Amino acid sequence: MIGRVAWLLARPGTTGMAATALPVAAFTIVTALLLTVLGGAQTFWSWTDEWAVTYQALAVIALVLLVVPLASLGGAAARLSARRRDDRLATLRLLGATPATVSALAVIESAVLAATGAVVGVALYVALVPALALIPFRGEALGVEGVLLGWIPLVAVPLGVVLLAVVSAVLGLRLVVISPLGVRTRQDAPKLHWLRAAVALVVVALGAGLMAVLQVAASAIMILAMLALAFGGALAVQNLVGPWVIRLVAQAQARSARTPAKLLAARTVLESPKAAWRQVSGVAMTSFMAVFAGSGIAVVSSMGEGVPDRESELLLADIRTGILITVIGSFLMVACSVGVNQAAAILDRRDLHEALGKLGMPVSIADAARRRSVMSPLRVTAIGSALTAAVVMLPLTGITLIVAPVSLLVIAAVLAAGIGVVWLGLFATRPLLVRVAAG
Amino acid sequence: MSSFVIEASGLSKSFGQARALAGVDLAVRTGESLAIMGASGSGKTTLLHCLAGITRPDTGTVGFLSGAGRVEVTGLSERERSRLRREAFGFVFQQGLLIPELTAVENVALALMLNGMPRARAEEYGRGWLAALGLAGLEERRIGQLSGGQAQRVAIARAQVTGASVVFADEPTGALDSVTSADVMSALLDSTTGQGRTLVLVTHDPGVAARCSRTVDMRDGRIVGERVAA
Repeated sequence: MIGRVAWLLARPGTTGMAATALPVAAFTIVTALLLTVLGGAQTFWSWTDEWAVTYQALAVIALVLLVVPLASLGGAAARLSARRRDDRLATLRLLGATPATVSALAVIESAVLAATGAVVGVALYVALVPALALIPFRGEALGVEGVLLGWIPLVAVPLGVVLLAVVSAVLGLRLVVISPLGVRTRQDAPKLHWLRAAVALVVVALGAGLMAVLQVAASAIMILAMLALAFGGALAVQNLVGPWVIRLVAQAQARSARTPAKLLAARTVLESPKAAWRQVSGVAMTSFMAVFAGSGIAVVSSMGEGVPDRESELLLADIRTGILITVIGSFLMVACSVGVNQAAAILDRRDLHEALGKLGMPVSIADAARRRSVMSPLRVTAIGSALTAAVVMLPLTGITLIVAPVSLLVIAAVLAAGIGVVWLGLFATRPLLVRVAAG
Repeated sequence: MSSFVIEASGLSKSFGQARALAGVDLAVRTGESLAIMGASGSGKTTLLHCLAGITRPDTGTVGFLSGAGRVEVTGLSERERSRLRREAFGFVFQQGLLIPELTAVENVALALMLNGMPRARAEEYGRGWLAALGLAGLEERRIGQLSGGQAQRVAIARAQVTGASVVFADEPTGALDSVTSADVMSALLDSTTGQGRTLVLVTHDPGVAARCSRTVDMRDGRIVGERVAA
């Protein structure tokens, strides 16, 4: 019976193929990026000479920087696939379906969508291998053999993506199972505790402490672990405290809003600060990266003086390449996040957008509200993340690096590019809004 | 005898091969409540949309008569029709279609803010309308925290707050039980025809239609009957 209902629900509804295609596309991107990152990094572990540890250290930093937001994008994709079915599953619950049936349906649907996306993602990664193989490190191209992963990660990563989707579906649908009306009427006001901020402060302080004692670490492995912990911890903190800060700012904006667009934008953010955060969390990472990359380039510049040997020159060039690849990867995630989330948000509110169009609300106001609801949290996120990174990095790099003109320029350029990508993501979905509002 | 507020003649509209309207003539008098009845697919919602300037008919004309004179609705651009709907008409839909993240008073005030009224004043007007419709004390509730009937009253307040001379309602009681439906219908009539305004509604419910001053019946895109309440 469950299989038959799942098949019925899988058929395209009023939102057409988009309801299915969006989560599948998101899972595809997550899988392909994850495999690409792992493929690029595996080369460094095949080296055994004296420089290997340095490259591995840099790879760990890049991996942590990319994998955390990748997992976040994966979670968003999983929630998206589950949320798009929320209404119909809640209706089934109202019709008397048992919690077990609803949970099983959620798991089946999410798993099928994730598996489809993951398989396409593997194909995309394989198609990208020849291009990845051309990336130069230590004076020569990585080569196809260097970036092509073995069968174990090619199977394990898609399975992990499916598992993530299933877990997110079960967690996301708890509300439906507990109270069918909870989802149908959206009556629960979101609650975020100030304790998030307290925990965040402690973790940031620990991160800064770790960086301060980095130089006295006993071994290279220890330094690696401390670096990974500090960066990963700082990114995790952003995920913890981001929604809370965004809610505080939106509350103030809702109180002072004077125009329909400002009021709608602030209330949209308040409806789900976590969703607002998820849309821009990729930029949190980019912003964090920007400070790190800026400092990194400053370090490279200072190391460049009086270091004539070839290996060091190659290392400097490779660090620049690594930073560039990481920044491009993070931009790709931002673009994907915003595009997928915005398109899904428009489709989810199709009836409302159509009704507002009938009432005579110009599409430009709905679009302005939508832009604000993304760009305002984005500003808060970009600035907050840059500050967090500055606090964590300060003991390691020293204030001179932060104030170095070249690092400031890189930071500004990377942030501007990140914000530009978000704009592009918003702009790309405007035609969909116009079409939906026209009915 | 009242003057006409809306005059439509020769309205035809097709969606692909499906013909929704097939030459409809209809005049709506100022201050009347007009019910458009018919089976699903008879063209009643398409007719309402053409009268309100939401949909442009393939052929035929719709004229709106206001204090400023006659406006040829079918001759207006999309932007001009949006403005007309915002400023001169009010709308009530079956599901309310209120903005769920806004409070009740913000939903009502938004209609005025779209026309440029400052928020504080708009909310003051909104509170007045909500109180008049029996929703005093519920102004700060989000839409999900209201019952179906209460939400529909908020939608009525939103339709009225701009001082719309014509209110268009599409199955305004379609999602409500019979008791709530009667209450909402009373609120809708009191706030429209009770104040000298005009109400045009689409309904399946003969009980709802019976409370209107005139009913037209539609079939296959044509008006096939008309009844005037005694």
